[in-house]
Amino acid sequence: MELPHDALVNYVFPNNTRVWWSAMIVIYPYITGLIAGAFMVSTFYHVFKIKEFKPIANFSLVASLCFAFFAGVPLLVHLTQPQRAWEIYATPHFTSAMSIFGYVYTGYLLLLMLEIWIIYRPYFIRMANRTKGIMRPIWYALTLGVTTYHPESENVDRKVTGFLAGLGIPWACLLHGYVGFVFGSVKAIRWWATPLQPIIFLSSAVVSGMAMILVMYSFIMWRRREPYDFPMIRKLMISLWIAFVLDWALEMLDLVHVYYRRDIDWEEIGPLIRGPLFWTYVVGQIAITSFIPTILLGYTVLSRAWGKKLLYLANVCSFLLLAQVLLMRFNVVIGGQLISKSGRGFVDYEWDFLGKEGLFTMMAIFAAPFVVYYIISRFLPIFDGDMAERPGKASGHA
Amino acid sequence: MINSSPRSHLYRLGILLAVFFVVAAVARQWATPASWNYRDWYRTDALRDTELLPLAYGGNESCNGCHEKAGQTMRAREHKGLSCESCHGALADHVRADKKFAAAKVDPSRGQCLNCHAEDINKPRGFPLFSKEGAIGKFVPKHKESSETGRCLKCHDPHDPKT
Amino acid sequence: MENMLPNTSDGSVDGDHDSRREFLKHLLSGTATATVLMVFGPGVSKVSASHNQPRQGYNIQTEHEFAYVIDVNRCIGCGNCVRACARENAVPPGVFRTWVERYVVTNDGHVYVESPDGGREGFEEINAELRKAAKFSLTVPKMCNQCMDPPCVQVCPVGARFRTPEGFILVDNDHCLGCAYCVQACPYGATFINPVKKVSDKCTWCYHRVKKGKLPACVTVCPNKARLFGDLKDPESEVTKIFKEDKWMILKPAMDTVPYCFYVGLPREVI
Repeated sequence: MELPHDALVNYVFPNNTRVWWSAMIVIYPYITGLIAGAFMVSTFYHVFKIKEFKPIANFSLVASLCFAFFAGVPLLVHLTQPQRAWEIYATPHFTSAMSIFGYVYTGYLLLLMLEIWIIYRPYFIRMANRTKGIMRPIWYALTLGVTTYHPESENVDRKVTGFLAGLGIPWACLLHGYVGFVFGSVKAIRWWATPLQPIIFLSSAVVSGMAMILVMYSFIMWRRREPYDFPMIRKLMISLWIAFVLDWALEMLDLVHVYYRRDIDWEEIGPLIRGPLFWTYVVGQIAITSFIPTILLGYTVLSRAWGKKLLYLANVCSFLLLAQVLLMRFNVVIGGQLISKSGRGFVDYEWDFLGKEGLFTMMAIFAAPFVVYYIISRFLPIFDGDMAERPGKASGHA
Repeated sequence: MINSSPRSHLYRLGILLAVFFVVAAVARQWATPASWNYRDWYRTDALRDTELLPLAYGGNESCNGCHEKAGQTMRAREHKGLSCESCHGALADHVRADKKFAAAKVDPSRGQCLNCHAEDINKPRGFPLFSKEGAIGKFVPKHKESSETGRCLKCHDPHDPKT
Repeated sequence: MENMLPNTSDGSVDGDHDSRREFLKHLLSGTATATVLMVFGPGVSKVSASHNQPRQGYNIQTEHEFAYVIDVNRCIGCGNCVRACARENAVPPGVFRTWVERYVVTNDGHVYVESPDGGREGFEEINAELRKAAKFSLTVPKMCNQCMDPPCVQVCPVGARFRTPEGFILVDNDHCLGCAYCVQACPYGATFINPVKKVSDKCTWCYHRVKKGKLPACVTVCPNKARLFGDLKDPESEVTKIFKEDKWMILKPAMDTVPYCFYVGLPREVI
C-alpha cells in the first residue's frame, strides 16, 4: 500500500485504530439531505409557482416530513450517552456547528408540520364534520376547534403557506448546510476541511431529494395504477440534471484544487483515493454513479424522451444518483477518518452488520420514513390534490 | 365558538405555539446545570469532580515515611532519579487507609533491569546499556557474557546498583 | 524528585510517621485539603483564556500557566509513563492518554514508526536489517497538548469540554454525550471514547494530582527526566527555564492550536 510521508510501515496513532463515526453518521446527512431536497421540490410550486410541479408539491412536503421525523435517530443511536441528548437544547455550545442541530432541526420539523397543517386544514375540517367514532376527536383537534372554513381563509392560508415555504428555503439550507460545515470546519482532517463542503452537501442534498421524489412518485403511481405525469417527470429531470451537474462540478473542483495545489493535503489525500477509497470513490462515486447519470440525464433531457422510455431513464438515473449521494456521504464521513492523524497510515474500516451502529440498524432507520409515509397516506389524500386545495363547505360533500 | 375571522385558526395556533415556547424555555432553564458557567460554557462543578478523583501514585516522598532507609540509600546512589513506584507499583496498590494491605513486589514479568538498560539505537547514551553482545561503552567493561533478566540481581542491588 | 511547584510539600523525609501516614490516608482517599498542599486554590483567576476571547499567545494573564516539556533526547522508551498513566487514571487497554512512539529514520529518507500497545511494555529490539539502514532512532512520548486554542473544546456541542483558567483541558464526565466530535477535531489523536465510561476521555495532566501538589503520574515515574511539568509563572521551575531558552518545538505547528506541550530535540520527521 502506498503510504504518505515516506512511511515505511502503516502506522496509525494508538487511539486511531478504529473509525469512530460509522454508518450512523453516513445515514444522518443522507436523511437530512433528503429532507432539504424533497422540501426544495415542494417549493418549486409553493414559492416559484412552476405549475408542472403542482401535482407533487404536497407529496414532496409530506415525504420531507417523513424523513424529518427520523433525522435525529441515527445521532441518538450513535451517542454513547443518548439519555443526555436533551443537553443539545439546554447547553448548546454555539462555537460548535453541531450545537445548532437541536434548535434548527426542531424548528424545521415545526415548520414542515405547520405548512402541511395549513394545506390540509380544509380536509381536517371536512373530516371533523363528517367522521364519527374514535377518529372524530383527532380530526377535531387538528382543526383546533375551527370547524367551518371561512370563505376568506383560502386567501390567508395561501399567503401563510407561501411565507412558510419561503422561510423553509433558507432554513433547509441551514439545516443541511451546517452538516457540511460540521465536516468542512475540522482542520485536523484534510479530506474534510474545505469551505466548499457546505455547498457540496447542499447541492447533493437537492439532487438526492429530487431523485428520491421521482423514485417514490413512480412507485406510488405504479402501485395505484394511475397515469404518470410525463410533463412533470420531464421538468423534474431537467432540474435534476442542472442540480447534479452543479453538484458534481463542485465536488470535482474541490478534488482538482487539492490535486493542483500539490501541498501537504495532496500528500495524504492522493494515497487515500488511490488506496483505501479507490473502489468507493474513484470507481463507485465518480466513474459509475456520477459519470453515467450525467450522460444519461443529458440524453434524457436533450432527446425529448417520452413515455415508458422517459420513465425508465428517469428511474435509472434517479437510482444511480441516490447511490451517488449515499456513496459521497460514505466517502466523506468514513474516508476522512481513514487517514490517521499520524499522517503515516490508514485506518482499517471494518464493516459492521448487526452491531449497534451496523448496516442493519442503518437500513432499519432508512426504512422507517417509508413506513410512516404509508401510514400518513392512509389518512391524508396526498395525491388527490383537489381534496386539499378546494375548500369544502362546512356541511361537507361527497 | 364563533368562527368570525378568516384568521381564527391562526390565532389559536399562535396561542398553542406561545405555550409551547414558554414550556420549552422553562424546561431549558430547569435542565441547565446549576453551576453552569455562562461565560466559558461549562459546568463549574466538573472542576471539583475531577479534582476529587483518587490518587494511585504517591511519589517518592510518600514512600520515605515508612521506608526511610531504602529511601536514603536510593537518594545517595546512582538510581536517585528513579521513582520507587515505577518498579514497585503504585502506592494505592500497597497502602490503603493507613495500612499496608499488599506487598509492593516488583513485577518480574517485565524486563526489570533490561526494561531500561537494554541497548538499542533509540536509547540515549550516558547510562549502562547491555546488548546481546555485551556491555556498551565505558560502563562495566567486564560484562562480556550476555546479560539476561534475573542474572543482574546476583551482583547488583537495584537500590544501590554499583557493586 | 525535584520540587517544581510552588507551595507544595517538599520531598524531604523528616516529620513523624503518624502525620505522614495521616497524609497518605487523605491523599489516597482524595481528601487532602491542607492549604499547604494546594498548588492553586479553587478561586478562579480574574482573566482566563477561553476560545471565545481573542487569543493572547503564550502570555495569558492568569495566576498560573502550566506547561509540559518533553525532552525526546532523554526518553529511553521504557514505557513507565504509559503504565503509570493507565493505573492512575484507570485507562482501559486499547486506548491511551499518553503513548510512546519509536521512530527509525533510514538513510534513504524513509521513516519507520511503531507504538506497540502504546509503548506500554517498552520496545522490542530493532531488527538487524532496519538497524543497518538506520540514520537515527528515538522514542517520542505523545499526549494531549492542552492547547490554548483547543479544537476539541470548540467543537464540543454541549460544553462538556472546557479549558480551566490554569490551562487544563478537562472533560465533564457527567455532561459528555459521547458524540466523538472532539475525537475528530483533535489533530494529535489524543482523545478517545473511553470504552468503559462511555464518554470522551484524554490526558488531564493529572489535574487531581496537581491540585494536591503532586506531579502528573507520568512525570513522577519517568526515570530520566524526559517529562517535566511546571508553572511558567514560577521563574524557578525547569519548564520556565526551557521555555525561556526558546529552543522548544511543538507538534503540528500548522494547526495553530497553541499547545502547551513543548518538545525539546524534536526531529522534523515526527508528526
